[in-house]
Amino acid sequence: MLPAAGEPAAGDSWGLLACLCTVLWHLPAVPALNRTGDPGPGPSIQKTYDLTRYLEHQLRSLAGTYLNYLGPPFNEPDFNPPRLGAETLPRATVNLDVWRSLNDKLRLTQNYEAYSHLLCYLRGLNRQAATAELRRSLAHFCTSLQGLLGSIAGVMAALGYPLPQPLPGTEPTWAPGPAHSDFLQKMDDFWLLKELQTWLWRSAKDFNRLKKKMQPPAAAVTLPLEAHGF
Amino acid sequence: MLTLQTWIVHVLFIFFTTESVGELLEPCGYIKPESPVVQLGSNFTAVCVLKEKCMDYFHVNASYIFWKTNHLTVPKEQYTTINKTASSVTFTDTSSLNTQLTCNIRTFGQIDQNVYGIRIISGLPPEKPKNLSCIVNEGKKMMCQWDPGRETYLETNFTLKSEWATEKFADCKTKRDTPTSCTVDYSPVYFVNTEVWVEAENALGKVTSDHINFDPVDKVKPNPPHNLSVSNSEELSSILKLTWINSSIQDFIRLKYNIQYRTRDSSVWNQIPPEDTASTRSSFTVQDLKPFTEYVFRIRCMKEDGKGFWSDWSEEASGITYEDRPSKAPSFWYKIEPSHTHGYRSVQLIWKTLPPFEANGKILDYEVTLTRWKSRLQNYTVNETKWTVNITNDRYIATLTVRNLVGKSDAAVLTIPAYDFKATRPVRDLKAFPKDNMLWVEWTAPNESVNKYILEWCVLSDKSPCIPDWQQEDGLVHRTYLRGNLAESKCYLITVTPVFADGPGSPESIKAYLKQAPPSKGPTVRTKKVGKNEAVLEWDQLPVDVQNGFIRNYTIFYRTIIGNETAVNVDSSHTEYTLSSLTSDTLYMVRMAAYTDEGGKDGPEFTFTTPKFAQGEIEAIVVPVCLAFLLTTLLGVLFCFNKRDLIKKHIWPNVPDPSKSHIAQWSPHTPPRHNFNSKDQMYSDGNFTDVSVVEIEAANDKKPFPEDLKSLDLFKKEKISTEGHSSGIGGSSCMSSSRPSISSSDENESAQNTSGTVQYSTVVHSGYRHQVPSVQVFSRSESTQPLLDSEERPEDLQLVENTESSAGSFPRQQYFKQNCSQRDTSPDISHFERSKQVSSVNEEDFVRLKQQMSDISKPFEAGQMKMFQEISVADAFGPHTDGLVEGFETVGMEAAVDEGMPKSYLPQTVRRGGYMPQ
Repeated sequence: MLPAAGEPAAGDSWGLLACLCTVLWHLPAVPALNRTGDPGPGPSIQKTYDLTRYLEHQLRSLAGTYLNYLGPPFNEPDFNPPRLGAETLPRATVNLDVWRSLNDKLRLTQNYEAYSHLLCYLRGLNRQAATAELRRSLAHFCTSLQGLLGSIAGVMAALGYPLPQPLPGTEPTWAPGPAHSDFLQKMDDFWLLKELQTWLWRSAKDFNRLKKKMQPPAAAVTLPLEAHGF
Repeated sequence: MLTLQTWIVHVLFIFFTTESVGELLEPCGYIKPESPVVQLGSNFTAVCVLKEKCMDYFHVNASYIFWKTNHLTVPKEQYTTINKTASSVTFTDTSSLNTQLTCNIRTFGQIDQNVYGIRIISGLPPEKPKNLSCIVNEGKKMMCQWDPGRETYLETNFTLKSEWATEKFADCKTKRDTPTSCTVDYSPVYFVNTEVWVEAENALGKVTSDHINFDPVDKVKPNPPHNLSVSNSEELSSILKLTWINSSIQDFIRLKYNIQYRTRDSSVWNQIPPEDTASTRSSFTVQDLKPFTEYVFRIRCMKEDGKGFWSDWSEEASGITYEDRPSKAPSFWYKIEPSHTHGYRSVQLIWKTLPPFEANGKILDYEVTLTRWKSRLQNYTVNETKWTVNITNDRYIATLTVRNLVGKSDAAVLTIPAYDFKATRPVRDLKAFPKDNMLWVEWTAPNESVNKYILEWCVLSDKSPCIPDWQQEDGLVHRTYLRGNLAESKCYLITVTPVFADGPGSPESIKAYLKQAPPSKGPTVRTKKVGKNEAVLEWDQLPVDVQNGFIRNYTIFYRTIIGNETAVNVDSSHTEYTLSSLTSDTLYMVRMAAYTDEGGKDGPEFTFTTPKFAQGEIEAIVVPVCLAFLLTTLLGVLFCFNKRDLIKKHIWPNVPDPSKSHIAQWSPHTPPRHNFNSKDQMYSDGNFTDVSVVEIEAANDKKPFPEDLKSLDLFKKEKISTEGHSSGIGGSSCMSSSRPSISSSDENESAQNTSGTVQYSTVVHSGYRHQVPSVQVFSRSESTQPLLDSEERPEDLQLVENTESSAGSFPRQQYFKQNCSQRDTSPDISHFERSKQVSSVNEEDFVRLKQQMSDISKPFEAGQMKMFQEISVADAFGPHTDGLVEGFETVGMEAAVDEGMPKSYLPQTVRRGGYMPQ
C-alpha cells in the first residue's frame, strides 16, 4: 500500500513522498478531528477557513523572511519571474467558471491534494534552510499546514467524502534534476511560496463558499466580504 | 537517589559484617525487599534470610533474628519465623516516612551481630491533577498549569502531554521549581484543536488528569494595543478621539476592547460601555467629557467572542478637551472701606477664580459693570480678582462676567445698598461643627427668598489680625462646609450673610474649631487675697491662641507641702475662686488646669502662705490693749494729779530750812555784809538739800537792751526797796540773797533754830513806789501766804505756780548755784539779773504798772522819772545812793497803801498747804 515508505534514503523526492504518504496514511485513521463531539461540518468549515487566514498571516512573515534569505532579486517586491521548472507544483489558479462549477467534494479534494503536496515540498525546503530561525518558522508553518490538512480531512469526513488515495503513478514528486543550478533552485523555492500563498487565498474562498452553503443564515453577513475578495 | 541510599546502607552492612565476622567477605544474610517504597498507612513485611554458612559459623538459626528500626528493637510479636533460615517482620500502618530497618542475630555470649539493613521509604501515590488550564500569550508558547493535589512525600514527576488528532507533540516535563506548570516548546497552531492532559508519576503510582481539548486560539492572551493617541476637536469641547494600533493577532481573529478614562487628578477609572467597543477597531471617540479637562485613557483587548484572556492594559495616553465658555458666574462679593472723600465710599469688589471645571478654559479677563440708581451703566475690564472703586452713597448694582477664549459666562449680580441702608433678616440657628475633617456650617434660612449666602471666616488670634476668607453658597443651600485650608486647634470666626435681591442681610457669626486640642498653656493662677482660712484665687482667661478649643472648665489643684492634693472644678466663665477651709500659717501650692473637649493642660504652680492671724485680728487685740493701757495710765495720772498734795505730803514733805529763816533778822536795815558769811554758812551747813530755787535765766546779761536797761533801772529801785522791805520770814530765796548776805551769823543761828518748826513765806515784793507789786514776779514766792496780787492776775499766778510745781528743781538749783557764784563777785548784778528775768516774763505787767504808776502818782511824775533815770544810771555803777532810794521806797509804800492793796510784804498763811522750797 505504501511502496515508497520503506526507502527514505532515496533523495529528497523520496523523502517528500514518504512524508506525504505518512500523512495520508494517518489521516483516515482518525475518526474525527474534533473530539468534542460531532456538531456537524459547520464549525469545522469555519475553523478551517480561520486556519487558512491564519496560515496566510503566517506565510506573509515567513515568505518575507525566506525571500530575504534567498536574496535579490527574489526579495524585491516587483519580482515576478516566469513559472519555470515548477510544473510539478499544484496550480491554484483556475478559470473562474471552472472554479464555480466545482462541487464540494471536488473542491475539498483538490485542496487536500494540493496541500499534501505542498507540505511535502515545504518539508524539503526546511531541510535546506540554513538558519535556525528560518527552520523554526518553517517547522511551525509545516505544523500549521499539517493542521490545515487535518482540518480539511475533518471537514471531508464530516461531509461524508472519502479522502483521496494517492496513486503511485500520479503522486507528485519534487524531483529537481542534477542540472538544477542554485538560481533555479531558488526559483523553485520562490514559486513554492508563491503557489502556497495562492492556494491559501483560494482555500479561503473555497471554505468561505462552503461555509455560506452550510450556514445559510450567516450568508448575508459574509457575502459582501467575499464580493470584496473577488 | 533512592537506589543510591540503599546501596550505601548495603555497603555499610557488608563492611560491618565483614569486620565482625572476620574472614567473611559477604553478608551473613539479606533482607527482602531490598529497597521498598511503602504507601503511608499500609502494611509492610520484610523477610531476613540467613545464609547457611553463617548459621553454621555462629551456631544460630532464624529464631535468633531480631529486628531494629532506627536502632530501636522491634517487639517480638511482630516477628514470624518462617523456617530455619528466614524470619519476617510485619509493620501495620506505616506512618514514618523514612525508616532504617536492620536484621540482627544474637550469637552466644550475647553479642549482637548486624546481618543486613534496608531503608524503607514511605509516601503516597500522586493524586489526579485537577483544574488543568492553558494560556497562549500572543507570540509566545503555550503554558499550562494545574493543581497537583495532595503532597506525596515522594519525588513525583508531572508530564504535560498534548496531541492533535493526527499528531502527538513532544512531552513537556515540569521543571523542579515549577512542578505545577509547564510551557510547551512548540508554537501552538491556532484553529486546530489540541488535546492536553497531565500525567503525574512517582514510585507508588502514575495518574493522568482529565483530558482537555481546545483550540489554542481560544486560550490566547493578545498583546495590548499600542501607540494609543488622543486628539480633541475644536467643534466639540466634550469629545476626544482615541486611535491605536492593534496587535498582529487581529489579522486572523476579531477583537473586542475595554477603554477606560479618568481625569488627570482623579484615580478612579471610568469605563466606556463594553458594547460600544465589542468589535475590532483602531479608533474610538469618547463623548460627554468636560471641556478643557485633561483625560487619561488606556485600552485592552481580547478575542471578540470572549474566549481567551484580556490583554494587559496599554500604556496610558492623555489629551485635553477643547475649551468652552465658562459654565457659571463666579462668586461675587464686596467690602466697603472708609473713604476720606465726603459723600463717597470706597468699595472693593472681590470675586473668586472659577475652578477649572467651571472656567472651561483659560480665563482671559473679567468684565465688571456698575449701575448707579437710574444712571448709565459703566463698564470695566479687570484682570485680577478684586477691584476697588469709589462710589457715591447711593445704591449700586454691580455685575461680573468672566471671559475665556470661547465666550463669556453668565453675569453675577450684586446689589450694593445705599449708605444708610440698614441690614436686617439674618439667618437663624447658625451652627458650626466639625465632621469628616471638615468644618460644616448649618443655618436656617430667613423667611424671604435668598439669592445667595456669603460665608466669611478667619482665624481668631491675638497675634495676627483677622484676615477673612470667604465663599459663596447658593440661595437654596443651608448647610455647607468651609472650602479652605483650615488648621486644627484654631478658633475660626464664621460669619454668614444672606444676600437678598435688594442687598445683603445682617450677618450672623459663630466660633468653631475644626479639631480641638488641649490648651497649649495652662492658666496662671495667683492669689488675690489670702486670709487665715481662705484664699481668693484669680486668673486671667487664656489667650485665644493657646486655648486650642473651647475652654469647658477649669480645675484648681491645691495642696499643702505634705497633704494630698485637692481638686476643685470651676466653670469656665469664672476668673476667680475662693478656696475655703484652709489651715492658717500653712504653705499652699496651687495650680490650675484648663480643659477643652480634648483634654487639659496644667498651668504653673503658685505658692502662698496663709497668715497666722486673720486680717484685723492683731488690731483687735492690740488696740484694746493699748487703749486699756492708756486709760489706766490716764486714770493713774488723773488720780495722782488729784491727790498730788497728798502724795507730795507723804512722799515729799516740804521741809523748811531753818538755816534760811529770816524771821530773826527781819530787819531791812541789816547791811548786806553778811553776804559772804551767809555763803560760808550755807556751805558749811550743808543744810540746803531741800532748798527750792527759782531759776531766773541770766544768760547773756552783758549787753542789756534798752528795755532791759529800763528794767534794770527799775530793778535797781526794786532792789533798793526790797532791801528795805523784804521780809526774812521763812528764809530767803536766792533772789533774796541780799537778805542772807545781810543776815549776820547770829541771825543765821536763830534762823536755824526755827527752821524745823516754823514755816515762812517771804513775800518778796518789789515795785516801783508800791504801785507795781505785781511786777514782783520775782521768780518765786517764798511766802506761805496767798499771793493776792497773783490771785488777782491769774496769769501771774499761773506763772508762779508753774514755776513752783512743774518747772522742776533743776533750774532752781542751777539758778541757785549761778546766783550764788555771782553773788560771790557782785551781788548787785544778781539783782539785776533777777529783775531782768522778771521783766522778760512780765513786761506787760510792767508796762501796766508803769501806767498805774503814772496814773496814781502824777504829781511826782516829772521828778520821779528824772530821778529814776538818775538812779538807774547810778545803780548801774554801784549802790551808792541807798538813802535816796529808801526815800522813794517809802513813797512807794504809801502809794501801795493808798490803793488798799496789802501787797506782798506781809507774811501770809501758807496757801494750799504748799511750802515754798527754801
